[in-house]
Amino acid sequence: MTDAARNFVETYERERDALPGAGLAWLAARRADALRAFADAGLPHRRLEDWRYTDLARALDKATLSPASQPSGVVELPDAAERPSIAVFHGIDRHVAIFVNGRLQSDLVAELPHGVTLVQLAEALGEPWARPLVETKVATQAGNVIALNTALMRDGLGLHVARGVKLDKPLHLIFLANDDGASHMRVLVRLEEGAEATIFETHVDAGARSYFVDLVTDVSLARGAMLDHVKIQDESAEAIHLASLTAELGAAAKLSSFSLTLGAKLSRNQSFITFKGEGGEAHVNGATALAGSQHGDHFCYVDHAVPHCSSSTLFKTVLDGASTGVFQGNVMVRPDAQKTDGRQMSNALLLSRDASMNAKPELEIYADDVQCAHGSTIGELNRDAIFFLRARGIDEHTARQLLISAFLDEAFETVSSGAARDDLRALAAGWFERHQEKTS
Amino acid sequence: MAAVRETVESVDQVAGEKYKYGFTTDIESERAPIGLSEDTIRFISAKKEEPEWMLEWRLEAYRRWLTMEEPKWAKVSYPPIDFQDAYYYAAPKQRAKLESLDEVDPKLLETYKKLGIPLVEQQILAGVAVDAVFDSVSVATTFKAKLAEVGVIFCPFSEAVREHPELVKKYLGSVVPSSDNFYATLNSAVFSDGSFVYIPPGVRCPMELSTYFRINEKQTGQFERTLIIADKGAYVSYLEGCTAPQRDENQLHAAVVELIALDDAEIKYSTVQNWFPGDENGKGGIYNFVTKRGDCRGARSKISWTQVETGSAVTWKYPSCILRGEESRGEFYSIAISNNYQQVDSGTKMIHLGRNSSSRIISKGIAAGFSSNAYRGLVSVHKKAENVRNFTQCDSLLIGSKCSAHTVPYIESKNPTAILEHEATTSKISDEQLFYCRQRGVPAEEAVALIVNGFCRDVLQQLPMEFAVEAQKLVGISLEGSVG
Repeated sequence: MTDAARNFVETYERERDALPGAGLAWLAARRADALRAFADAGLPHRRLEDWRYTDLARALDKATLSPASQPSGVVELPDAAERPSIAVFHGIDRHVAIFVNGRLQSDLVAELPHGVTLVQLAEALGEPWARPLVETKVATQAGNVIALNTALMRDGLGLHVARGVKLDKPLHLIFLANDDGASHMRVLVRLEEGAEATIFETHVDAGARSYFVDLVTDVSLARGAMLDHVKIQDESAEAIHLASLTAELGAAAKLSSFSLTLGAKLSRNQSFITFKGEGGEAHVNGATALAGSQHGDHFCYVDHAVPHCSSSTLFKTVLDGASTGVFQGNVMVRPDAQKTDGRQMSNALLLSRDASMNAKPELEIYADDVQCAHGSTIGELNRDAIFFLRARGIDEHTARQLLISAFLDEAFETVSSGAARDDLRALAAGWFERHQEKTS
Repeated sequence: MAAVRETVESVDQVAGEKYKYGFTTDIESERAPIGLSEDTIRFISAKKEEPEWMLEWRLEAYRRWLTMEEPKWAKVSYPPIDFQDAYYYAAPKQRAKLESLDEVDPKLLETYKKLGIPLVEQQILAGVAVDAVFDSVSVATTFKAKLAEVGVIFCPFSEAVREHPELVKKYLGSVVPSSDNFYATLNSAVFSDGSFVYIPPGVRCPMELSTYFRINEKQTGQFERTLIIADKGAYVSYLEGCTAPQRDENQLHAAVVELIALDDAEIKYSTVQNWFPGDENGKGGIYNFVTKRGDCRGARSKISWTQVETGSAVTWKYPSCILRGEESRGEFYSIAISNNYQQVDSGTKMIHLGRNSSSRIISKGIAAGFSSNAYRGLVSVHKKAENVRNFTQCDSLLIGSKCSAHTVPYIESKNPTAILEHEATTSKISDEQLFYCRQRGVPAEEAVALIVNGFCRDVLQQLPMEFAVEAQKLVGISLEGSVG
């Protein structure tokens, strides 16, 4: 076992009685099982096929590992001019919940529509709908690391929307870090039949530099429920960010998930989508822009366990400096999952000599009456296109920015909220501006 | 839809089609003792009258093999192989050194006839030189004289070791090192024979070179070793084709093929593989664990792999290209058809090291019955490889609801000037296409064959004329057993 892994095990031994839901027998057993599984497997490393391009074990071994502390006093927010991510979605009417160092720091929204329950993790774990969410199983190796979160989850939220109810405004979860250390958070979302909700999520550093964020979001959508999820990750350049999304979709349920990745030294976004009822629809998309020595990994596993479902995945990656991008996707079509429509696309642009990209879009198909396709491209900015723009009097800098924006825009188009889309575009444009200033 | 139903019915009818080439020839053979040890290797080496350095090379590989583990990552499953329960050497008995075909064992010639490889006819009509490998020893080599005229060396591997040791020493293991992988290392230790080809600088080989492999002796692993060198500006087209008799026991085949193309040279390597795939219940069949790799060592060199895979119970095969030379080019065209309980895990690797190198991958997988058909490929661009271009297309066609198709591509780029494109689709035969054919009076069976042939066309077109006919026949036979 690596030092980092041993450290996590010790944290569990030390703090298990203080962790939320400590009084629940099923949870205590679940945490103990999870810790055992984690202790056996250790932290994921590159010898595991699902982690082929990302070595979390090595990255964490070099990082600070004490649990992140309870923030005291006033948390100073970074200047929005410097870190525009902090101000994202501000123009949208929304509910806000703020976490600092993995702990809820704001009062939870009081006025919610009838039928909507929003509670802190400790309370949520006592709800009958929470247990199946915590016990969601993932059918691939990459999901094993969720055990670490299950054992150590310290805070988070539970959102439950009753049948036919629509959450009136988007729920915006803001995760800040002002102290180096590890934080393990869990968000549980259950939408009953025909319910609808939109969740925004922002991850930004607020004073901390080298820290580890471990967030697991478990989603369960009943028949016809709809969830829209938009995430922005702009952690400090020395942070390690691990986020896993598990989602189970009932019949005719719809999930739309988008993530913009700008920050962190090493980030890994994992999505595990399982169709449980016919007619489900899932869209998992993302855009990534990295520079320096950043490493960004998107892993997406879509499990078509039942017929007549459709899924699409689109990831756009822009890599500058000596950054590394990874896309690992898998569309699994189980026997009898006929009439499946599965699509998967990864496009990457390498802007510099030292950037590199690895893609592994995988199809695993056990049914015949399906339409599945995937594609992957890796290349640089089209020189002819730059020349075309320059020939029309547009300077090289602007030409490049135009082309990069156009490249990323295809991914932003998949975000359904127009206001959120504009914010994402502005952030991406800002990334380019800031970044080009640094290099030029 | 009626057409589909009829197709399915006709599939069921012919699914029991027996392996046409399943028969055994009764020929006495000389065997090494059962099992694998240093003694077995010394026995093989002595049988082949090999020099000391060759024996040492084998023993070194064997010692390394002992420390290695069988690879488990492929999407195939089979009972564990007992490597001590196999014969590693079997040679058909020879009466004396052979001067011409007339001296070849008439039983052997009869076998070839059944396989549809009339050597004599081929000599006269097709202009193809055949180095026929029966079990492990090459027994007949034709057109030697004609090839010798232009300086082409085409001979059994064991002969090359004796006659051209300097070439063998220089190139053997330089593409697939003896430590490469479990099966390649095993092959390095016990390889029995194979073909050796050397094309001198500037020579365009005057004919297609061809080898027919055949596994005959019961419980005998077949460990072929092929080494092809195209010197500067040379060109050669090499054909490899296989059929094997029906058997109950699983047979292991672990061949190694090494290709080396120097400056401006081109090697075209085509394979039609139709080994016994096991019966309709998945019993028996060949295990095919092959390491094939080409090294585009020189500038502007080109290596092209074309394969039609219809046989074997388990296939584990990734013909690859190391694109070392500037402006070198690698190509991979593949049709893999699996039926009944066959398992295929095949694909290619294109490793771009040289500037302006380019590669193209076209893979067509057709799965029927209960079979599993996986494409696994790597396209990798190293830091110094400027302006690399790759295009990959891998399509899978599923026939029946119990089969499976997988696509596992690895795409790795460390150079921004590289342009890599990968696309893959998986689908079944479209009802519309079938309906269209049926409407015009084309029987369902023929319609399916037509559509599948169209699906494979890009690859079939790449085969040399001499092979195309056989390949199309093979695709047809495989389809008979699956769709009609």
